[in-house]
Amino acid sequence: MKQLGSLLLAEIIKEHRHSFHSKMIYFSLLVWPVINFVTAYYSFAPFRMGADSPLARFISYEQLPLFLLTGYLGYIFYWCLVQSSWQMSFERQAGTMEMIFISPVNRFAFLYGRSLSSLIEGVWLFFCFALLALFFVDGIQLSGWWAPPLAFLILLVSAIVWGGFLCVLFLFSRDASFLYTVLDEPMLIFSGVRLPPMAFPVWAKVISFCFPLTYALQLIRELLMEGASLQAMLPSMGLLAAVLLVLVTATVVLLRQAEKHMKKTGNMVMY
Amino acid sequence: MLIAENVRKVYRVKEKKGWFRQQWTEVEAVADLSFRMVPGKIIGLLGINGAGKTTTIKMCSTLLTPTSGTITVDGYDAVKDDRFVKAKVNMIAGGERMLYWRLTGRENLQYFGSLYGLQGQALRDRIDSLLLQVGLYEAANTPVERYSKGMKQRLQIARGLINDPHYLFLDEPTLGLDAPIARQLRKHVSELASQHGKAILLTSHYIHEVEELCDEVYIIDKGRLVAHDTPEHLTKSLHLDTALQVVIPSLSDSLDYDLRQLALDYGGSREIAETDEQTWEVTLRGKTDMTTPLLSLLAAHQSPVLRLSTQQPSLEDVILHMADRRGA
Repeated sequence: MKQLGSLLLAEIIKEHRHSFHSKMIYFSLLVWPVINFVTAYYSFAPFRMGADSPLARFISYEQLPLFLLTGYLGYIFYWCLVQSSWQMSFERQAGTMEMIFISPVNRFAFLYGRSLSSLIEGVWLFFCFALLALFFVDGIQLSGWWAPPLAFLILLVSAIVWGGFLCVLFLFSRDASFLYTVLDEPMLIFSGVRLPPMAFPVWAKVISFCFPLTYALQLIRELLMEGASLQAMLPSMGLLAAVLLVLVTATVVLLRQAEKHMKKTGNMVMY
Repeated sequence: MLIAENVRKVYRVKEKKGWFRQQWTEVEAVADLSFRMVPGKIIGLLGINGAGKTTTIKMCSTLLTPTSGTITVDGYDAVKDDRFVKAKVNMIAGGERMLYWRLTGRENLQYFGSLYGLQGQALRDRIDSLLLQVGLYEAANTPVERYSKGMKQRLQIARGLINDPHYLFLDEPTLGLDAPIARQLRKHVSELASQHGKAILLTSHYIHEVEELCDEVYIIDKGRLVAHDTPEHLTKSLHLDTALQVVIPSLSDSLDYDLRQLALDYGGSREIAETDEQTWEVTLRGKTDMTTPLLSLLAAHQSPVLRLSTQQPSLEDVILHMADRRGA
């Protein structure tokens, strides 16, 4: 456990120095999602949002800021990890990936450690903004003090599992960067960041349920917007747990395959 | 001891045949290679480009799986028990990759040390000792991007030693370094084997480096072992020509004729070139030492000797000779 802590600390320092070396990066990490959030909110303004609007069946106008805030908070958690996984190609180019895989380090500790450190670096500023904003928006319903910390924990755990899974995909090939295009924008559109997935047509609902963020956001909103009790959330929690279990299993299997593939083809150094 | 037995590595290579067609071909990078690494000894792996040197190193360091054959490290199989093997080996490659440039030297070592389970005071002590060893203690807190090429290479050595490996693979470690820095590194590598008991496998394009450092040399060509011996034995066993070079102020026709005759008598050859200083440089190549008859001949012709030197065959000559022979 101590070793894992040491590895995590080293990974955090590495990520911090390597990817977050300038204060301007933190500035952009706050400004970019805030702009997105504000843009999304005002995009709804020209449209009819009254009780008879099509969206009113899923969210009330009063809860729209909170809906978007939770959506963007969840999205930033997951987006950071898509970015971080994409950075695996840097490790390949720099030859540091070989140095990681020549060592006996626990591969899962490396993958999840990498995800955790990217996440902490990438979200803390927007997380603080979101936390502050929660005091000023209407529609918060909590069934207990534990709801916000639990929401944070759900986002953290699910995002790390997602990040580990993505890192493995990027281990397979230097050409995996197409996943960035495939995963980034569709995740924003279909995961319920700006619109509830239930408002989607069937084909879009099918896509939305391919993203674990959809399940995580569902839970976060139940916790923060509906004031759901733990018991009421059990089905959603079970669903997210099942999705995460599938992701972890896929990560374990794919990691073994990826390492085997790299050792067979020597593609660890190809970039 | 590291024992590689009948190791073979075949890559499948994709060749594009137009827009939609592709063809897979098999390329044998290493074929039936066997060798041993013993603590305290440095072995050299030589060959021309594409000989399979880097592939061999990567198989020994668990980065590649051999297609067939076995590699065992202190009894552990490099494929099945790779976690045990990884703790005992490390690799240092030439060039400026394999480091995080935005991190300082110390942070790089902290990161790579943590991959080997090192932590706390033990890791800090190890880092300090390595930084002192490679002469980077003063620059420990400087980002690597501000290091010179030589400093980066020294940091690579520190990184390669972070887990105190028993077996160290050096792939062109002095590539592109200035002569004084390369000499310093060679000294360090030599000490790693002689004083710290590391088993070292070295590949290098600088043959004199291999001659200077290695106890044994394996010469491979297209993945196959073509010779294995000490550097001295290799040069002797091939009975390559010794070159005897003499510089004289003038060359008469009769002396020219006698020199050619001398070379023929000893089964060798003669080359003559006029130098910029208006003198003549005569080179006699042969398997037998022709110094005494040459000096007698020059005395008989009353020709003064401005310079005389003998050039023994080098390991480079051995490689070139083998490459020529196999290419023929």
